[in-house]
Amino acid sequence: MSAGADFLDRLLAAVPGSQADTPVKDYPTVRLSAPKDLLPAARLLKDELGFDYLEMVTAVDWLGPVNLGGFVSNPNPNPFTQKHPGPPVSPVAGPGVTYRPVLDLLWSFGDLVKNRKVFLRLEVPRDRAEAPSLTGLFPAADWQEREAFDLFGIRFAGHPNLIKILTPDFLQGHPLRKDYVHAKDRYDAE
Amino acid sequence: MQSEELIVTEGGLEMDTMFVNMGPQHPSTHGVLRLGLTLAGEVITKAFPDIGYLHRGTEKLMETRSYHQCVVLTDRWDYCSAMTNNLAFCLSAERLFGTQVPPRAQALRVVMCELNRIASHLILLGTYGIDIGALTPFLYTFREREMILDLYEKCCGARLTYNYIRLGGVAADIDSGWVAKCREFLEFFKPRLDEYDTLLSFNPIFLARTKDIGIISKETAVAWGLSGPNLRGSGVSYDVRKSEPYCGYEQYDFEVPLGASGSCWDRYFCRVQEMRQSVRIVEQALAELPTGELMAKGVPKIPKPPAGEAYAHVEAPRGDLGIFLVSDGGAAPYRLHVRAPCFINLAILQEILVGKKVADVIAVLGSFDIVLGEVDR
Amino acid sequence: MVAKPVPGGQVVLTSTDYIIDLSRKYSLWPLTFGLACCAIEMMVAYAGRFDFDRFGVIPRPSPRQADLLLIAGTVTKKMAEPIVQIYHQMPEPRFVMAMGSCANCGGPYYDSYAVVKGVDRIIPVDIYVPGCPPRPEALIYAVMELQKKIMRMKLERTYGATVQAEKGSRDLTGEPA
Repeated sequence: MSAGADFLDRLLAAVPGSQADTPVKDYPTVRLSAPKDLLPAARLLKDELGFDYLEMVTAVDWLGPVNLGGFVSNPNPNPFTQKHPGPPVSPVAGPGVTYRPVLDLLWSFGDLVKNRKVFLRLEVPRDRAEAPSLTGLFPAADWQEREAFDLFGIRFAGHPNLIKILTPDFLQGHPLRKDYVHAKDRYDAE
Repeated sequence: MQSEELIVTEGGLEMDTMFVNMGPQHPSTHGVLRLGLTLAGEVITKAFPDIGYLHRGTEKLMETRSYHQCVVLTDRWDYCSAMTNNLAFCLSAERLFGTQVPPRAQALRVVMCELNRIASHLILLGTYGIDIGALTPFLYTFREREMILDLYEKCCGARLTYNYIRLGGVAADIDSGWVAKCREFLEFFKPRLDEYDTLLSFNPIFLARTKDIGIISKETAVAWGLSGPNLRGSGVSYDVRKSEPYCGYEQYDFEVPLGASGSCWDRYFCRVQEMRQSVRIVEQALAELPTGELMAKGVPKIPKPPAGEAYAHVEAPRGDLGIFLVSDGGAAPYRLHVRAPCFINLAILQEILVGKKVADVIAVLGSFDIVLGEVDR
Repeated sequence: MVAKPVPGGQVVLTSTDYIIDLSRKYSLWPLTFGLACCAIEMMVAYAGRFDFDRFGVIPRPSPRQADLLLIAGTVTKKMAEPIVQIYHQMPEPRFVMAMGSCANCGGPYYDSYAVVKGVDRIIPVDIYVPGCPPRPEALIYAVMELQKKIMRMKLERTYGATVQAEKGSRDLTGEPA
């Protein structure tokens, strides 16, 4: 879990525009500046630095507090205490957080031999959420990218089979986006 | 195998592909997995796993639950090993808070998680036997599993969804009677493992159905991101308990069993050997159980962690379970992502099923030990 | 039921309703159909300790051979259609048992966008078993309650009631009796 500065330096030097970011606690984290940097960075990590294990592909929507319209009924009605009614969703960001209309993508690569881990981050705008697909390099990205597409609406360019994976066919929208509003379907109460 | 001669006759007997739908209701898919298979004769030419039949939107729900309420939902991902789910979430949240867990709680977490690993692998032994056609082991493994559940019930009151490991520690203490009962179980259980070996593991019919079936090479396993016994069955030594020890796993002496060839039998036998190692860990942890507090001081009723991101992963019975947690300073997680081992393990099916006979599908699928609650979340 | 020894053997006198209900009651064959967490407790109930065989409850893998549908777990919207299909594939008389809070009302997922809030929104339910998950003892009690319910069934429908109405559950499928 050490910082492992040598591979981080090589990564930062090889990918222009990338910079060390505020780390996911205890793990080295690198922020990429543009989507086109992802494939070179991933290739470098896989072929030269020994990170041949793609652990995780995910995203964070930084639009703001979650829209309660995304839930079928009032989440967390809390009937027992009148003092704290409603769900614990804070309307304002805490210190150090800025809400902005971006999707923050996150990849985690592992090195199983030397027990190292590195996180890559990339911000894409919410309305044009696109990133290159890693399926050519890591087959493990296949389903995880489909999941991110299904729940966040991120289009991974070059993915061979980018279709819904978890949500039912009739569900409109991408549920994990913060502004998702649930449209009542035939299984919800009238 | 499909023979080429059959196709040549003009207008006569022709080989055509057939679509076979397995699931979502199928006794051997261990839940609600759906497999679309295209067959040429008996050989699979295309496999398409369809999941989402148990998608409950947990990640979204957690965005409006307080941290203590989230632990309840974690129980229901991988319901065969709810303890490790609790642990993964709590470790991640504790990293966010910077909480130090007292040593007694650490040891109790290890004891409970290892017992849960045994209980979870026992389910696999039983149901995999049923899949292959051996009905009896199911009755034996569930007998032993009930003993573990009794221990859990005595400690925290629940049989399946424990909510035992909490933010900052554990919920309930164990007494000397519990320890004695646990030791009694371990003594009872050790010879049972040899019994399973004679009953199932080295049974000629079982070997014929699983050995040299569904072979995954080291490189393929790593490329597809397999983890847990599925990865170790292919001979890759990767165990989070060794590579990034949590809860004081570094002080226990245990081995990481590896498979030789990556076949279904290797994946299965890895689990049998893991149970032996789990017994060793529980024995060591019970021998040196520290005394003291169960909960860390100062965990509030409505925790509001400082803004930040944390990732923690544990070695769950089914693989590397990781929780990525983002906080914006509010009382609910801003975003929670589960690196679900079953979900990632399952993706490889579309590749390795191609070229197999249809009769081997269940043998291959069963050896992955999937739990659909975690696949779909 | 009256049994009387007569010369040359025994004669049993009973009503058709009674003998038919009795046979139904002791050969409840549920479909092996696990959805989520409750399925594990259902499997435990089949295993040695709780031993469902004592009640004549033997799991069948095909809906065509089953007469009890145990909804053991969360019913999601994606799964709703297959469940209705399975229900219609089962021969009459068929019984449905909603096991666990999720199948009763949505349970911990009451506000989820992907979960049907109770299986009784899509198929009629005879017995609800509370718990998350219910213990195997609760399942055994539910089977015993279902057996009591079966004993009240008659061949001839009261006032032309549907099968569902006769059993006392809501008919939501709009299916003719």
